[in-house]
Amino acid sequence: MDKSIEDIKDEALKAIDAADDRQAVEAVSTRYIGRKGVITQFLRNLSNLPKEDRPGAGKRANQVKELLQKAITDALSAIDARAAGDIEIDVSLPGRSAQRGYLHPVTQVTHQICDIFRRLGFDIAEGPEVETDYYNFQALNFPKDHPARDMQDTFFVSDTVVLRTHTSPLQIRTMEKYKPPLRIIMPGKVFRCDSDLTHTPMFNQVEGLMVDEHISLGDLKGILTVFVHEMFDEQTGLRFRPSFFPFTEPSAEVDILCVICRGEGCRVCSHSGWLEILGSGMVHPALFENVGYEADRYTGFAFGMGVERIAMLKYGIDDIRKFFENDMRFLGQF
Amino acid sequence: MKASLSWLNQYVSIDMNASDLADTLTMVGLEVDSVTDRYEYLNTVLVGRIVEIVPHPNAQRLTVCKVDTGNRLVPVVCGAPNVKVNMLAPLALPGTQFLDGTVLNKNTIRGETSEGMLCSEVELGLGKDRSGILSLKGSLEVGRKLPQALSLSDPVFEIDLTPNRPDCLCILGIAREIAAIQKTSLAYPDIPVMEAEGEIADHTSVTIEAPDHCPRYAARLLTGIAVAPSPFWLQDRLNSVGLRPINNIVDVTNFVMMETGQPLHAFDFDRLAENRIVVRTAAMGETFTTLDGKDRKLTDEMLMICDGEKPVAVGGVMGGLNSEIEKTSRRVLIESAYFSPPHIRKTARTLGLGTDASHRFERGVDPENTVTALDRAAQLMIEVGGGKLISGVIDAHPKKISRNKVTLSAGRTNRFLGTDLSQKTMAKLLESIEFKVDIEDADTLTVVHPSFRVDVHRPVDLMEEIARLSGYNDIPTTFPPISAGTKLPSRDLDVRDNILRIMTGFGFTEAINYSFMSELSCDKLRLPADDFRRRMVEILNPLTEDQTVMRTSLIPGLLETMHRNASQQVRDLKLFETGKVFINNSLEELPDEVEILAGLWTGLRKPVSWHSAPEDCEYYDIKGVVEGLFQALKIDNVKYSRMPNDLCFYMRPGHTAQVHVNRSAVGWVGEINDQVLKNHDLKQTAFIFELDMSRLSPHMPELQQTRSISKYPAIARDITLIMNIGIESGEVLIKIREFDEALVESIQLFSVFEGGPIPAGKKSVSVRITYRSIKETLQDEAINQLHRDITDRLMRAFQASLPV
Ligand SMILES: [Zn+2]
Repeated sequence: MDKSIEDIKDEALKAIDAADDRQAVEAVSTRYIGRKGVITQFLRNLSNLPKEDRPGAGKRANQVKELLQKAITDALSAIDARAAGDIEIDVSLPGRSAQRGYLHPVTQVTHQICDIFRRLGFDIAEGPEVETDYYNFQALNFPKDHPARDMQDTFFVSDTVVLRTHTSPLQIRTMEKYKPPLRIIMPGKVFRCDSDLTHTPMFNQVEGLMVDEHISLGDLKGILTVFVHEMFDEQTGLRFRPSFFPFTEPSAEVDILCVICRGEGCRVCSHSGWLEILGSGMVHPALFENVGYEADRYTGFAFGMGVERIAMLKYGIDDIRKFFENDMRFLGQF
Repeated sequence: MKASLSWLNQYVSIDMNASDLADTLTMVGLEVDSVTDRYEYLNTVLVGRIVEIVPHPNAQRLTVCKVDTGNRLVPVVCGAPNVKVNMLAPLALPGTQFLDGTVLNKNTIRGETSEGMLCSEVELGLGKDRSGILSLKGSLEVGRKLPQALSLSDPVFEIDLTPNRPDCLCILGIAREIAAIQKTSLAYPDIPVMEAEGEIADHTSVTIEAPDHCPRYAARLLTGIAVAPSPFWLQDRLNSVGLRPINNIVDVTNFVMMETGQPLHAFDFDRLAENRIVVRTAAMGETFTTLDGKDRKLTDEMLMICDGEKPVAVGGVMGGLNSEIEKTSRRVLIESAYFSPPHIRKTARTLGLGTDASHRFERGVDPENTVTALDRAAQLMIEVGGGKLISGVIDAHPKKISRNKVTLSAGRTNRFLGTDLSQKTMAKLLESIEFKVDIEDADTLTVVHPSFRVDVHRPVDLMEEIARLSGYNDIPTTFPPISAGTKLPSRDLDVRDNILRIMTGFGFTEAINYSFMSELSCDKLRLPADDFRRRMVEILNPLTEDQTVMRTSLIPGLLETMHRNASQQVRDLKLFETGKVFINNSLEELPDEVEILAGLWTGLRKPVSWHSAPEDCEYYDIKGVVEGLFQALKIDNVKYSRMPNDLCFYMRPGHTAQVHVNRSAVGWVGEINDQVLKNHDLKQTAFIFELDMSRLSPHMPELQQTRSISKYPAIARDITLIMNIGIESGEVLIKIREFDEALVESIQLFSVFEGGPIPAGKKSVSVRITYRSIKETLQDEAINQLHRDITDRLMRAFQASLPV
């Protein structure tokens, strides 16, 4: 016995593959599984094997015969189908593209921020972009002719109307309309007369406000820590440092450990290891007085952040003006 | 605010290095922006060795030296009498900027090149010796930078102060914070009483006619003063915080302002008419020349310091040329006042003139430091300018600024902050920054703030001080209980989010353009004079000419975006934007803000590929988007009708449809007008749609109910109508829907044809109606009957016929 049944099988399958017309396939069939074919020969020669090996080898030879029979049938029907005009296609050519659109990165980051706070039980509120001096400043405890107003370069429409410089007027508008307990998140466009690598005359803010009985500065730290961990990751450290906003007291700037260098110091964080991303504080009692909340009973906190700044950190964007040029080569990356 | 470490050290002994000090100040709320060394300007001054001196060929008193800087010999023309071979001396290289602002250049002095300058102590700002070049002693390495060679170092902290902390607009204020952090003591300057002769009331007087503007005005008089350059120590202090010395009298006023935060002014007493001061508001339209030589137009809200005849200073902002200290001045009247902060701010802003003085007054100086600062200035002027002090001080004080007692509950403070501090700790923290604290009972503290803390009025202000000094980062992080709060409506937000998803699903990319536009935008869109979009909200102080008004349409922004992309060879765009437009409303203070959805499609319908020839997008592509959007929003009964030509300002007539939902107009869809494309410098056409989002949501079902699905087979029948070309083909579909036949499942318009066998002025419109019943298998006969009936009704409605 010169060839094993497995060798015969491999050889036959190769021959079926190589055959490209009916005649050639039939020749392979005759040669291997015909009445005088190789397999028949093999079965005949079984008697040369030791007695105990004969049943196994016989069974295997019949399996191979069946397998070859099926391969030959398939090959014949493939040849028939080709003959009937069913031409194969070049599967490597590009498909018709299912074009998708892209959400603006500012919208995406705004959604990410709002979604985190929605999961924490905050509702969304929106309001006018052209705002009265009362809501933008006075009700937020920025008196007229107070240097605190210099902190925000304001676009004026008239003596009493401005483009809102922050989303904070919505704190007042929402508190005037709804009673505590209140948890709101306020995204929107804001305007400041400033333009350079890190400032555009319009940008987006997300403001948050929580008012209830017994809200503490520690709670503000808790909520913002959860936010930063969700927005960046659990390893992102935070620090709170005293600051000043007329509408919060105490006020705190929130720095996060630089997401680029992890605190080692790099160009993005001006080698400080920290990035300023949030302004926050406990709601100033003057605001509660202005909206008619009981200032003795309720406390609360507020915070605000620039969406573009966070998007710039997240995506390594170095020029804020790119957000509003709407270059498809930029938008198509998000 | 700049503070140098050396100056701070005069009042508090600092036991931290510069970077720790910077961090510490930042963490108590005095944010340090940068730390620089004040001797950095000497980094281009090297230790040089003079190796050769030859007389200048063309100038008797000059020499030409060769100075070794370690790696080369620098030729220097020098006029100093004390140059010697082998002498070590400071060599300033070209580019060095001296304290007086001058910059050293490489130059040629009478034919000899000079590539540096050998400097004296005075020139370097390191001492008072001006007799010759500074001879450096000891074994200094040639070529080293001077600050390193002489170990000159003085860190300067640039502090970005928030407007609530005017008390830190002086070195003493910052030193006070450092002392509180370090728990060490603060050494206030010693001001000995040194009154000499006469009585001030015999020489001058102060009359305050505007007590609201000027609650307090104090003055002292000095006589026999010699105006001269300040001594080195005084110049050095001013230089350390970046102030340029002028003369001893002015320098003292600046020094005391930097030391105590109280701005002062020195008048030449002999130039004051009638030798007296009157504090009053200006006459409307009066002009006045300030110290900087500029003529200022005054308003009647501005406070002027006047003599017996005329104004001599803009109170709290800037002095006048007419009473300035000059070399010949002998008698000096020093002013120390408390001006009302809002008035000063208003004056400074109206004049466009911010000064170190107005910066402090508008934030609020210490109203009880007026006379102390005055005494300090008098003491120093006598010390540096000779002369004598006239006895007595004028302290006109028509309005007292009182300090309130604030009652603070320790328990409430802890609950508010989330801390667990003892009442005693709170008291200690407050006392460390000079608050006066009395413990009333186990919970209550009565606190009086120091006069310089003009920002503290309420218990929360004290809580902030306690939190700040005990450290924000030591406050435990807790999580508030989330009680069942007020629910806010979210429908409009949900609709917008839905639209964002649908539009991106259709392959459109979201753009965000500025909410501004140019006032010329309306002209570019060819809007008529009475168009509502010309009711623009103007910005009084725009940054650029293309951002002068709030946008009244999203189209200018989208067309500009198209232009920007085209200039980068990106010509195929599918863009959309949701955003507000602003329409002036003469009846309301605020404009109407309307949220609009706009889309733009330009260029190819599909990206270039092997499977089909490139085709440009057209009207029916963008219309399909609008139809798909309405379908996705579940808005039915939408009608598209030809936009009348006289409304096609920026749209192309005959290629634009108005969109109505339930008979109310919600927007339009179509092609941009050719002229408008040209106005925007666009070379290819664009298709757009605009929809008023606020008008969409009322037509959307609040609740969606699923239709049952029939298990019986459908039957399709076609109709072809021959009708007048003038009839909009879409009307056929609307009409069939209006019949409201229960068995009609769907309708497709599958062919519109003109010409050929169809008579002129007519067209054929073919629709396929699919019939299906929810209850049974439809019989051919019943359907034929219904189909004939529908056909008849359509023929009547459109005066149509059937094909022959
Ligand atoms: Zn970094």
